[in-house]
Amino acid sequence: MTDILNALVILANFIFVPAMAYGSQLALGALGITMVYSILRFSNFAHGELMSFGAMTTILVTWALQSSDISLGIFPTALLAIPVAILVTVVLAVAIDKSVYQYYRKIRAEPVTLLIVSIGVMFFLSGLVRFIIGPKDQVFTDGQRFIMKARAFKQMTGLNEGLAIKMTQGITVVTAFVLVAVVFWFLNKTRTGKSMRAYSDNEDLALLSGINPERVVLITWVITAALAAVAGTLYGLDKSYKPFTYLSLLLPIFSAAIVGGVGNPLGAIAGGFVIAFSELTITFAYKKVLTYLLPESMAPDTLMQLLSTDYKIALSFVILVIVLIFKPTGLFSGKTI
Amino acid sequence: MSFLLGANMTGGYGGADILHDCTIGVEKGEIAVVVGPNGAGKSTAMKAIFGMLNLRQGQVTIDGDDITNLKPEERVLKGMGFVPQTNNVFTSMSVEENLEMGAFIRRDDISQTMEQVFELFPILKEKRKQPAGELSGGQRQQVAVGRALMTQPKVLMLDEPTAGVSPIVMDELFDRIIEVARTGIAILMVEQNAKQALNIADKGYVLVQGENRYTDTGAALIANPDVRRAFLGG
Amino acid sequence: MMARLMTNRTSFLFAVMAALIIFVGFIQSWNVAFTIINLCLISAIMTLGVNIQWGYAGLVNFGLMGFTALGGIAGVLISMPPVPGAWEAGGMGILIGLLVGLGIIIAAVMVWKKTAHLGRVQHWALAAVLVIGFFSFRHIVDPAVAAIESFESAKTGYLGGFGLPIMLSWVIGGVLAAGVAWLIGKISLGLRSDYLAIATLGISEIIIYALKNEEWLSRGVKNVTGLPRPVPYEIDLQESPWLIELTNTWGLSLIDTSSIIVKICYALLFTAVLVGIYRLSEIALKSPWGRMMRAIRDNEVSAEAMGKDVKAKHLQVFIIGSAIVGAAGAMLTTLDGQFTPASYQPLRYTFLIWVMVIAGGSGNNAGSVIGGFLIWFFWIEAEPLGLWMIELLTSGLADDNALRLHLIESAAHTRFMMMGLVLILVLRFSPKGLIPEVKR
Repeated sequence: MTDILNALVILANFIFVPAMAYGSQLALGALGITMVYSILRFSNFAHGELMSFGAMTTILVTWALQSSDISLGIFPTALLAIPVAILVTVVLAVAIDKSVYQYYRKIRAEPVTLLIVSIGVMFFLSGLVRFIIGPKDQVFTDGQRFIMKARAFKQMTGLNEGLAIKMTQGITVVTAFVLVAVVFWFLNKTRTGKSMRAYSDNEDLALLSGINPERVVLITWVITAALAAVAGTLYGLDKSYKPFTYLSLLLPIFSAAIVGGVGNPLGAIAGGFVIAFSELTITFAYKKVLTYLLPESMAPDTLMQLLSTDYKIALSFVILVIVLIFKPTGLFSGKTI
Repeated sequence: MSFLLGANMTGGYGGADILHDCTIGVEKGEIAVVVGPNGAGKSTAMKAIFGMLNLRQGQVTIDGDDITNLKPEERVLKGMGFVPQTNNVFTSMSVEENLEMGAFIRRDDISQTMEQVFELFPILKEKRKQPAGELSGGQRQQVAVGRALMTQPKVLMLDEPTAGVSPIVMDELFDRIIEVARTGIAILMVEQNAKQALNIADKGYVLVQGENRYTDTGAALIANPDVRRAFLGG
Repeated sequence: MMARLMTNRTSFLFAVMAALIIFVGFIQSWNVAFTIINLCLISAIMTLGVNIQWGYAGLVNFGLMGFTALGGIAGVLISMPPVPGAWEAGGMGILIGLLVGLGIIIAAVMVWKKTAHLGRVQHWALAAVLVIGFFSFRHIVDPAVAAIESFESAKTGYLGGFGLPIMLSWVIGGVLAAGVAWLIGKISLGLRSDYLAIATLGISEIIIYALKNEEWLSRGVKNVTGLPRPVPYEIDLQESPWLIELTNTWGLSLIDTSSIIVKICYALLFTAVLVGIYRLSEIALKSPWGRMMRAIRDNEVSAEAMGKDVKAKHLQVFIIGSAIVGAAGAMLTTLDGQFTPASYQPLRYTFLIWVMVIAGGSGNNAGSVIGGFLIWFFWIEAEPLGLWMIELLTSGLADDNALRLHLIESAAHTRFMMMGLVLILVLRFSPKGLIPEVKR
């Protein structure tokens, strides 16, 4: 019996907890990609850099707060900085829209043109971020590190295996949950949110109904930028901030959005967790778990790992490709590709 | 002068003209039907009246006001409602949300108008939480008409409302359209099912190649042997 | 008249390019100038590959990095000497493993086809074959891989190559890239352009991950260095009497001159390849095949209605373009003399090439080439230019001013911003690029 519990604790500690946090980060990112896709109808390759920019702003504000001795006690100071980062990122996103993307809506450009334009924005933002904060690793987490320490868990339960939950993981999951709930409430319950869904569903009919497309686009960027700033900050808090990682993060995020069903916000969330859990379950070494569960004679002598952890991110593309081949509308039926 | 009048309309989508000096009008509480062979410019005439293409000549007036230069959204504010032929509902949104979106430009309480629509189309009340995309073709058309009615228009324009629905559903839809007209709304519709449509029409327009060929009451057009032979299949 | 103007414009732009290089030669050094030229040439070959896909056919291939790396590994596999010890240790296991892997794939395809009438069972059957196959594959391959990777791992730890002349890899790299492109194309060419873009970007990342981690094949992040060269070595040149005499007579630096000579040799080889591919691309563009490609690009639906097999044509174009990128990748590795999987970054190897094509003029081969030259030039020179500008702008500030120091330190990153601006501005104000496509 305790063997089974120990095995479960290992799984919780090394798969469930990290996957929940990582999944939340991906889900928030994928939700941003999906918003832009359903309203502006292009795949925004600059989204990763927008997240990076948001995280960078949080870090700069955090540093300012730290140097004037303002902190949040056991919570990271970054939480205080996030609202400012959201504001700055929103201003940036709207400015980019007005100066760059708006023109292409006016000439009714093909989605692929906008996609290439977003590559330009991606280049620019990645340069801007590196120019301001440099390419190096930045750690900006402070406050209490753990909600639950492995040793404390062992003492509490008397089990051999420990369960650790980092503060950043807890914050990530809670924040993501709250934010997603707010976005869904907005989209489904408010007049403006509904008008956005209407615009995404049927542009011509939305125009006939008197919905102002520029207003819809503006609100889309506000939400997208806010999501990006929070997602970027949470990722940076959890894993440490490095500008370079946000371009690689773009791909799991796209995978999440497509796996869930493009243009389907609920699917984007689900996709984020599907990607996160598959990455971690497939690259996890099950040796210890099996040692607990199997009789001693059958205990494995190899790592019992399906794929080496080096392939973790590559795995999200494999899932993406499989979904694209077998179910191109995504698991939760988005728009047909 | 008719309540809604597109007079001497000439124009097209930028290339060659599709409409040539075409005139179409409708009175309050009346049903006017535009029929004609394929490519006669029926839908184009409709779009011209609603401001979805630029006219080179002619003008559109509603209640004597010249609205020729207004955008479609602005015409909605002037009391026009338009039901496109296809893609006329928000498929991913519930019936109720479709109706709400129809009333998007209104800032006042819309619950009463919604009740009226539900009275007119009881099935919609029953299915009001269902996504419109899951409804049958006839029910979808009811949603589309209901959506257009939400702005409390003075004129309702329908582009082939019965395209692709069964004859029984068609009869039912026509009954409902007559009911709408009785509330004092002017109805202008384009129809492929010419005979049935002219049956309920106070006024009929037969268009050929963008020109008025015959204009008369619905009954008179059905009675006219030339019209019968050429356009109503004998 | 139009054609005349275009030619003038082309010659003008190439003259500007030449002037820029000469300027660098005098201001910085001729060594730098030739380093830039060589990478310009390779970039231009890559842009020709992309132009065939995007300019001719409207296909978005964001997997350039992957094809470049495939060309690179071809360079290793062709030119490096085999490692007999590693072959003894696990070569057989790898070969058997690969055969088994092939067998599993064939079995999976057969099962998928044979069980098509069984509904849901089809999926389960496929999954069963794949899972069992995967474990048996790992069972055979894992020990072999471990044996190879532990064989003198500091020096080799991989199977090595075939010990053939490295220039052969320019062809083999292309073939390898073509093979992978065929596979990718089969999977993803039915998708809409955004998804093709994302899928190819994803697959290119998978290729890089594989090259980083499959040490038995590529040495992974331990890198393969010291690839044999098709051109003389500087050391040998420095010892050859004719060069010593030459430099003495003209009063030149022996070391500089030798390295410039090596670079010129490379430049000649690359130029020959570039001219060859350019000619072929032009012939293809003007042929009925090229006309058909553009017809498909401009209106896929009507081309399909006229009975053109759009998917098959797209596959052709995808394979040809990727093969050219692969060949360029092999040339790049040849020039570097080493293969470093970790250095492959999408910004540099995929998106920068796209900036080149868009800025140069998609659909026009001369445009793509000049785009490759100019953008590469500015990519390299952005750093000194940025530094110079920052020093100018902050010249009012004290030397130890924190802002000034920070900006000077960050100057290198202006290149990203510059490329972003180039792309955004070109698309906005001159979407056809420097040398627009000629409408035929």
